[in-house]
Amino acid sequence: MSLSYLLAAVFLPLFPLSAVFTAVYQRLGHPALRAALLLAWPQIGLALVPAAGGPAPDWLAALALATSALYAFRAIALRELGQWTAFLAVSLWPLLWLIGPGAAEAGSGHLHALGMSVPLALLALLTGGLEQRFGAAYTGLYAGLAQTVPRLAGVLVVAMLASAALPLFPAFFTMLALVVSSTQAAPAASLVLLAIWLLWSWAAARMVQGLVIGPADPDTPEYRFADLGRGPAWAYAAALAALAVGGLILSGGLP
Amino acid sequence: MEGLIAVVAALPLVSAGLIQLLSGRLGRGGARLSVAFVVATFGVAAVALGLTLSGADTGQATLGGAWGILLFDPLSTLMALVIAGISLVVHVYSLRYMADEPGYLRFFVLLDVMTAVLLVMVSAGDLITLVIAWHLVGVLLYFLLGQDTRDTSAYRYAFWTLITYRIGDLPLVLAAALLYHAFGTWSLPEIFAGLAADPGMPTFLGLPLAGTVGGLVALAAFARSAQFLLHTWLPYTMAGPTPVSALMHAGIVNAGGFLINRFAPVYVHTDDVLHVVFVVGLITAVIGSALMLTQNDIKKSLGYSTMGQMGFMIMECGVGAFSLAIFHLIAHGLFKGTLFLGAGGVINAARAEDGAPKEDLYTFVVERRPARNRLPWLLMAAITLAVPISILALTHWLVAQDYFQKQGAIVLLFFGWVTGAQLLFATYRMRAQNLWRLVTLSIFSFAVVVIGYTLISHAFDLFLYPDEAFRAQIYAAAQVDLFWFDLLVGLITALIVLGWLLTYYAENNGQPSRTRASRAWMSFYALVSREFYLPDLYTRLTRALLAAAGRLNIWLRWV
Repeated sequence: MSLSYLLAAVFLPLFPLSAVFTAVYQRLGHPALRAALLLAWPQIGLALVPAAGGPAPDWLAALALATSALYAFRAIALRELGQWTAFLAVSLWPLLWLIGPGAAEAGSGHLHALGMSVPLALLALLTGGLEQRFGAAYTGLYAGLAQTVPRLAGVLVVAMLASAALPLFPAFFTMLALVVSSTQAAPAASLVLLAIWLLWSWAAARMVQGLVIGPADPDTPEYRFADLGRGPAWAYAAALAALAVGGLILSGGLP
Repeated sequence: MEGLIAVVAALPLVSAGLIQLLSGRLGRGGARLSVAFVVATFGVAAVALGLTLSGADTGQATLGGAWGILLFDPLSTLMALVIAGISLVVHVYSLRYMADEPGYLRFFVLLDVMTAVLLVMVSAGDLITLVIAWHLVGVLLYFLLGQDTRDTSAYRYAFWTLITYRIGDLPLVLAAALLYHAFGTWSLPEIFAGLAADPGMPTFLGLPLAGTVGGLVALAAFARSAQFLLHTWLPYTMAGPTPVSALMHAGIVNAGGFLINRFAPVYVHTDDVLHVVFVVGLITAVIGSALMLTQNDIKKSLGYSTMGQMGFMIMECGVGAFSLAIFHLIAHGLFKGTLFLGAGGVINAARAEDGAPKEDLYTFVVERRPARNRLPWLLMAAITLAVPISILALTHWLVAQDYFQKQGAIVLLFFGWVTGAQLLFATYRMRAQNLWRLVTLSIFSFAVVVIGYTLISHAFDLFLYPDEAFRAQIYAAAQVDLFWFDLLVGLITALIVLGWLLTYYAENNGQPSRTRASRAWMSFYALVSREFYLPDLYTRLTRALLAAAGRLNIWLRWV
């Protein structure tokens, strides 16, 4: 296995090298830096793959699936939104190993990666907003964001659903394409992919329920926390809408 | 003309968009705008159904490239009218019912989007559109059930719904992938045509394509329609708003029956998938009904009643009576929606006056006081067994002379006979003073139900599946070996008659308090009242998985 593959395995994270990304992400404090990291990381990995030359070893696909499944499973028990974002990224990106060399050469691999990363980058920015208001983005510390900061809660929920491959968002079509392409060639892989998809939904629903749902603390006056302004809320909504449109464009690349 | 079906699906979506964008200007008037749009949706859906009823050609509206196809055919137009109608009733009801709830406009936006997605689902003409709509229904239902964001218990059970529905999405995705690989297209009409041309095509680990896809589609239908082992979410989602319960029980949970009908051209090429469908439906019908009888909460009881009805609907598919399942899901949707919307009023009225008449039926059902003086039981037994079967046989013979050649019809006749006989048997156990009047009324009601059911289902059969050969193919796919069929019917008949005789014997000879049988009966009752411990089992499993994930995170130092 060449050095390029090893490097690519850091940026299209494969266990145990996946720990590099999660560690770097957790050390970065600034939301904008985190967002930039989420956007750039898999693109670097995709750029490194052609440089490696030669076909990827067969076991790489199995390791990619195992890494994705491992982090999807671990994400269901997380309570910190920043960590959840990082784990979901490390669960999503290894699947880019499975999209095939054809897609990578045609450039659609970069689009798939972007479709996966943009909602995560939005989540990173929103996590920063929560930390700024409440000191932490942690489930169970404060509930009822839907009542105290409804606009922020709204975009947060949609961004989480987009990250978990909800229909019309790009990750949904990436997953659909992966399941379709693996069904005949590797039926077991398609079953693992479906299980991973289910785990993402579980993890996202737990995070939504921990942060957004529940009665707001009656001792905490609502006015203490400024909600997202109308302008930023519209900007987030526009970004998510653009993402959905991007998903529809990406669906044109389905096999 | 085909574009009508796209208009039907688009109208609620436009309404949702307008309410969301103009919420500042519209205020609470946005809800009335939503109702106006659903009225228009209902009107256009009625026109579309009218056109198909008058013999308009089937067709399709294409919104995009390889996918985004909406079908204009009898099944989609019929279901579109049903969904638009139920949605309209729910919208009108919600105008006042939800008026004091927080997130009033958000509720109408979600309701409109859900209506649009359901309309897309029933008219989807390609696999991607179908998968997207199927998936979105679960997600939207999650947020509708959790309309009150302060209520954590509502979300807890909405989560159960979401996960069960997600489990049901996955087999449909797999089925879509298999069909795409086999035929190279997402279009359902093209896939069905291809399958008809080469039904024996092997796929997926050497298994036949039709059987594998049929099994996967059935699994998706089981999850959506709360079949046994995938049902625990249904009775627990009562914390959601009443209009959502009505919509869910009337127009969402029954989508399993629709899905099996949509894939009817696949099922005609399967060997034994419909037998499994029948068995799952039968188990669900029996267990759902048993669970319903043990509940003392009206809404939970309605939930289990829906489970039993869904079991019967799936069972109908299993015997090849596909169009009957559609009739069943519409009829059930209408009466269950009415019950849910009326449940609050009934509870309020019952607080003031329970309204239960102290008559024969009340004393028999509630106070458990069977009659002491009866007519000769042999005479009643003869009436009990002979009258229902005569009514059923005559009615079915009127609509189709060859009806008795179809095993599916025999099974349904059998169930009808058991139900009718049970009705008369129960009547016989009541007070004797006006027994003949009760028996006559029971027979009359039974005859009205049977005649109505038979005639309407026959009309549905002709409308949804006008090709007689195709109808015969569906029944043929559901047939079992004659020896086993006769054996099973004989065995079940013997079991039921034995049950009646035991009841008769027990009542005539008194019931000893601590017999082995009564202890077994109490254990069974405890088991049923704890819902077979399935919710507990699933909760434990969930907790174990969460604990394992947590331990794994600690071992791997959270990176």
